[in-house]
Amino acid sequence: MTQDPTAPPLSRLAVYGFAALLAFLCGFPLLWMVLTSIKPDREILTAIPTFWTTQPTLGAYRRLFSETNFLTYFWNSIFVAGCATLLTILVATLAAYGITRFRFRGRETIAGTMLFTYMFAPIMIVVPFYILMRGAGLTNSHLGLILAYTTFSLPFSMWMLRSFFQSIPLELEEAAMIDGASRPKAVRLIIVPLALPGVIAVSIFTFIVAWNDYLFARVLIGTDNLKTLPVGIQDLYESTITDWGMVMAAGVMITIPALLFFLAVQRYLIAGWGTGGVKG
Amino acid sequence: MSDTAIQRPSTLVRVGDRVRSERVRDPRPRRIPEHWWGYVLVAPAVLMLVALILYPVAYSFWVSLHHKHAYLPIQTWAGLSNFHFFLFEDPEFWRSLKLGAIYAFGSVTLQVIVGVAAALLLNQTFIGRGFVRALALFPYMLPTIVVVILMRWIFNDSYGVLKFVLEASGLVDRAYVWFEPDNIMLTLILVSTWTFFPFVLISVLARLQTISPELYDAAKVDGAGLVARFWHVTLPQIANVLFVVVLLRFMFMFTKFDLIYLFAGAGGLGTFVRTLPIYTFVKSFGELQVGMGAALSAIMFMMLAAFAALYFRIFRRDESL
Repeated sequence: MTQDPTAPPLSRLAVYGFAALLAFLCGFPLLWMVLTSIKPDREILTAIPTFWTTQPTLGAYRRLFSETNFLTYFWNSIFVAGCATLLTILVATLAAYGITRFRFRGRETIAGTMLFTYMFAPIMIVVPFYILMRGAGLTNSHLGLILAYTTFSLPFSMWMLRSFFQSIPLELEEAAMIDGASRPKAVRLIIVPLALPGVIAVSIFTFIVAWNDYLFARVLIGTDNLKTLPVGIQDLYESTITDWGMVMAAGVMITIPALLFFLAVQRYLIAGWGTGGVKG
Repeated sequence: MSDTAIQRPSTLVRVGDRVRSERVRDPRPRRIPEHWWGYVLVAPAVLMLVALILYPVAYSFWVSLHHKHAYLPIQTWAGLSNFHFFLFEDPEFWRSLKLGAIYAFGSVTLQVIVGVAAALLLNQTFIGRGFVRALALFPYMLPTIVVVILMRWIFNDSYGVLKFVLEASGLVDRAYVWFEPDNIMLTLILVSTWTFFPFVLISVLARLQTISPELYDAAKVDGAGLVARFWHVTLPQIANVLFVVVLLRFMFMFTKFDLIYLFAGAGGLGTFVRTLPIYTFVKSFGELQVGMGAALSAIMFMMLAAFAALYFRIFRRDESL
């Protein structure tokens, strides 16, 4: 820490001033979104915006749920992101365990490839991915999306879990096995509890990748009932004269899951940073 | 991570104790060569990465050598003509490069300035620091679609709160329009800075917290002021991290698709921020020329690789000085 007890009061004041400014710049837009979503229509489209509202209403949310396909999009997003997360945990955990616990040819190549794939932005993969999925008959299906998100999360998930597994001493596992535990039992009793923070972090990153994605969902999904939130909201926004209250209500609804995951992951966020867990 | 091991002492102590006594009698047994288990465990992941990332990328290079339609089964050999078209005949390609460079350079510069300043601030001790830090990370955690609709509302040219505040305070001319051809790039850069600066903030803050306070004490004893201390102590310490952050951010911004596309669209106003990724999307899924789209992807890939290589080479040389 660079706290300086001898610092003059003026610089303490400056610190608080800038801190308030930073908090305002980051926090105000969010507050404004929530406020707009609960304002009655006549208070939204005004030349002189009112900050607070005297008549908060949930009308915008009611319209969102009853007049649009929002809930369908919402469940689609939950389903796709949830499946992608489960699949990623399964595949990445197996792979990271294999890489850290067994010696075999090509082990280093696999680790290197994980980093290499980090170079590829979604836009560079989406064209061939689309052609591939169409060939496999997986366009316009959730399975195609789940595969896309899982694949995209795999490199950093494996990378991160690898570093978690590496930090667990081999001796612990061997000790359990000497004690008569089978390898699966040793994994369950020793590795899983110790690697749990890593698994949680990976699942949250994957969920957020899937929850936020627009590009793959746009390209792969055509049917309205299969759309995920980002695509559904975009179409909602473009299709009518913008109902700002309703659009902001949708924004709040999409943000809540992201916010919950964010609060849960905060502790692991820093750990994920160093290993390239964050991309975009 | 050592602190995770501490969380479950009971399991560890129990198992560990028995091992120690075991080992006295029986030295550590040779591990059975189980390497094939390694292959089995890694297989699903490798299969997915190869089938769904590496193969598509290789296939993309192959497609870029063809004229190929997005839906119809039309695929004819084109050789390098797609590349020739973009490099020598297509002004729109060069324009997208220029716009992409402006966007990436502008937004990365602002992200670094704001991010480093915020990191320096959050490295100070003050009441409410945890709260401000959590709040400052939030823009980065917002789904892109939310950033877009929220900023379109705040920057709205008729009812936007920002327009109102700026006009009321006299900072911006009444005639300033955020969403018009000449201004959309700046608007987009500001929005991008808002949502992506926390990446710089976190990376730099993590490094700042490892700088030894003695360095600052020594500098102070030598009479270095605030600016001198930043320049001669802080900056050299965070140079490595800044280097990686700038590289990553530049690559991310150069290939950014969703924010730009959602914020400005592909046509109309969007043509004034039509960077290479947007142009790739337009060629592939607007004009349905996936051969051309693949060629643009390949160009983007080669540029990124060249950029990364060049960047590392310059950095290595600097480091040896």
